[in-house]
Amino acid sequence: MQLLQKNFDNRESLTDFVAALAPWAAGGPSHIQGGRQSAEKMLARVDPVAYGRTRNFGDGKITGLSPYIHHGILSLNEVRNHALSRCGEPVQITKFLQELAWRDFWQRLLSAHPEWAWDDIEPYKTGFSACDYAGVLPADITDGNTGVACIDAFIKELIQTGYVHNHARMYLASYVVHFRRVKWQAGAQWFLHHLLDGDLASNNLSWQWVASTFSHKAYLFNLENVSKYFGGQVDTSPQTNQPLHASYETLQEQLFPNLSRSL
Amino acid sequence: MNPALICLHEGALRITHPIFNVAPIGTKAIYVWDDEYLRRANYSLKRLVFIYETLCDLPVDVVRGDTRTIVVAMTPSMLYVPATNNPSILSKFAGITPATPLNVVDDDVFAVMEKTTEARRFFQYWSKVEKSAFLHNGGAPA
Repeated sequence: MQLLQKNFDNRESLTDFVAALAPWAAGGPSHIQGGRQSAEKMLARVDPVAYGRTRNFGDGKITGLSPYIHHGILSLNEVRNHALSRCGEPVQITKFLQELAWRDFWQRLLSAHPEWAWDDIEPYKTGFSACDYAGVLPADITDGNTGVACIDAFIKELIQTGYVHNHARMYLASYVVHFRRVKWQAGAQWFLHHLLDGDLASNNLSWQWVASTFSHKAYLFNLENVSKYFGGQVDTSPQTNQPLHASYETLQEQLFPNLSRSL
Repeated sequence: MNPALICLHEGALRITHPIFNVAPIGTKAIYVWDDEYLRRANYSLKRLVFIYETLCDLPVDVVRGDTRTIVVAMTPSMLYVPATNNPSILSKFAGITPATPLNVVDDDVFAVMEKTTEARRFFQYWSKVEKSAFLHNGGAPA
């Protein structure tokens, strides 16, 4: 039994130490730091009322708490109690509480159905069956070189920081499953590799929700939507995002032709 | 008889987790840096650094090796482990019982469900927990 050291002169020496422990682990450290002190700093900055109004926007008042919640550094209960102390009326933070509740919901589902972590819960509602989807992510996706500018920007953020805005995660998942027709399981595994908050329940069941194997219909997005919510953060010009530059009706017909034929 | 032992995992890395109240006062706490488990989990270095930074903040010994081997060798009178629904984490503790008595400790409750029937969609679930979700400690006694 080897007792490992816990005191380091700086973050670089800690990173070197961990890299030596796990030479198989790819990449570098995130700018997001672990530990209770970092978590408390983030918690102190939370504005649960503004969160409700702006959370879907790339520059919205999101909390960044999910890596700390996933590792149990903060409990959902503690975050909820803090949010209640930061509002006039609890109804003002309904959206914030619902986001915490989503995590609780996913946890309960996986506890009741461990097999849902990796098995399709329901068939795809895309006009395709599971066997029509590739089992492996293409290299251009894992490398962030798809040629779709906003998607590549989100992928690079995922690789470099281990954190991506929730709305952008939905774009990425939808792009992987519906635009590239790759099984959601491959995408979920990819996210779990990178995301600091990579949680089996929240991550995988959210992928199933986007894929339509745990929802009534597939989640689609287009460039207009990305431009509305992330126009100030990523390149959303039509020239560099061609596959996304279409109406929802057109995308639906292009991506799910079997559904159109069956109508 | 050997003392009890708390064995944390990556989903419960805080000193205020109920496990520290359930276990006898002064119970030693460890985190096992299980190379084989982490390699199988295929975490990127940034995930591992985040976990390690968090461990450095905690009053726990970080020991390297196979979880089952280390725990069994310490022969604790009782092993306390935070509850988890992650099968990979659960598998680390497989085979430890019955030689070592195991006490799995739940985290604080976020919300109490009004009915125990499963909610398959979020808003079915939300309608059952909404009242509790708006309350300090979910309405549970302090």
